[in-house]
Amino acid sequence: MSVGYGAVGWNRQKKRYDFFLVLGIALYLGAFMGAGAWLFPDVTAETLMIRAFGSAALILLHLILLVGPAARLDARFLPLLYNRRHMGVTMFLLALIHGSFSVLQFHAFGDMDPLLSLLTANTQWDSVSGFPFQQLGFVALIIFFLMAATSHDFWLVNLTAPVWKALHLGVYVAYGLVLAHVALGVLQAEQSPRLWLPLAFGFVLVASLHVIAGWRERACDREQPEEMGWVKVCSPQDIPNQRGVVVTVSGERVAVFRDDQRIMAVSNVCQHQNGPLGEGRIIDGMITCPWHGYQYLPENGCSPPPFTEKIPTFQVQIREGSIWVKSLPLPAGTAVEPAVWGGES
Amino acid sequence: MDWLRGLVYAFYAYVLIGWVLGGFLAFRGVNRLDPSAQSGTWGFRLLIWPACAALWPLLMLRYVRGHQQPPIECTAHRQAAGREV
Ligand code: HEM
Ligand code: FES
Repeated sequence: MSVGYGAVGWNRQKKRYDFFLVLGIALYLGAFMGAGAWLFPDVTAETLMIRAFGSAALILLHLILLVGPAARLDARFLPLLYNRRHMGVTMFLLALIHGSFSVLQFHAFGDMDPLLSLLTANTQWDSVSGFPFQQLGFVALIIFFLMAATSHDFWLVNLTAPVWKALHLGVYVAYGLVLAHVALGVLQAEQSPRLWLPLAFGFVLVASLHVIAGWRERACDREQPEEMGWVKVCSPQDIPNQRGVVVTVSGERVAVFRDDQRIMAVSNVCQHQNGPLGEGRIIDGMITCPWHGYQYLPENGCSPPPFTEKIPTFQVQIREGSIWVKSLPLPAGTAVEPAVWGGES
Repeated sequence: MDWLRGLVYAFYAYVLIGWVLGGFLAFRGVNRLDPSAQSGTWGFRLLIWPACAALWPLLMLRYVRGHQQPPIECTAHRQAAGREV
């Protein structure tokens, strides 16, 4: 199956989110620079710009990091999660402006190459109060660049999800670098230590929400116990007709579907972009991925011809009123006899 | 700091090469690497250009080796099934 790539997958809802995102940032930047110019008339416009864009990026970074665990704890945050990539790219652009202005102000007017100057102007690596915090920001910015640049679906497909996810987990490394960059930078600029408070508060909020969400998630991903190579799932009437349930078997989620009397199981991972097949439906006799609609025959895990996608399948049995799935997956595209359930559908 | 100067210039060279090859990849090369890119819009190509520029060695390697499909992800189930047969 093939869906051509477009630029940005905007729909009305996403446009609304992006509108409020841009509006919020514009208001923040305006308020920051306005208040700054009023309260500290001797601070230059460049410095105000650097601080406004840097702090805007930092706030947005916190929102981005909070949305993930928040959505896992409460589904009402899900729309924000779907918009997170736009938040990420916007955050990178804000940080890029902040970094570019800093390089322009501190490193561009000497006779040294600006990047070399950024890396070598301060090398007091053994000092806390004089630590070269700008280098930390630079490394963070490179990580943010790689993440923003690979945020298009094309990269998810072409790097494969595990590589893409690993790359995007770099956000935590970058977050640590940014925290150090800001803490040490603020220390050096001899600004009010009151800035430490929101920084520490943000960190504690991000960390604790991650721990809580991770703890909850682990309970749901626990492997089902095996009995002689088979795993008990649930009873057939627990699965709504033409829907699936998801269990974790052999290190990955399995989607068990019911189509009237027939029960079938396939690996939960869509070959297209790893969409959660178990959250899809059976349409025209085929498992239909909830993300972009790729289809697979539930009895053999193959996309209907002329398409060639294949996913692993599982043997299924009904014993004493319960569905059992064999724990060992069959190679992608292997036909399996569906289990037949005698009950009412 | 001479080694650092060398590193910085090597970085510039990498970026410059990447900018050119990345442009080629984004507007031509990816059509062969991923069939879904063939009907990709201009906006799509502009958006993937920066990462094509950053990751050009990876994509060029696939291009030279004649890959015509994105890699299929290796999930735990695919691995377990592969061991059995
Ligand atoms: C090339 C990369 C970077 C450079 C050269 C750089 C440079 C600087 C400099 C010189 C300051 C001190 C400004 C001042 O106190 O007047 C600063 C502060 C700051 N930077 Fe960066 N930075 C970079 C990347 C980043 C990134 C990626 C972020 C985060 C998202 C960030 C967030 C901040 C924040 C929040 C402050 C404190 C702002 C304030 O003083 O109110 N920076 N940076
Ligand atoms: S992930 Fe795109 S269709 Fe399944």
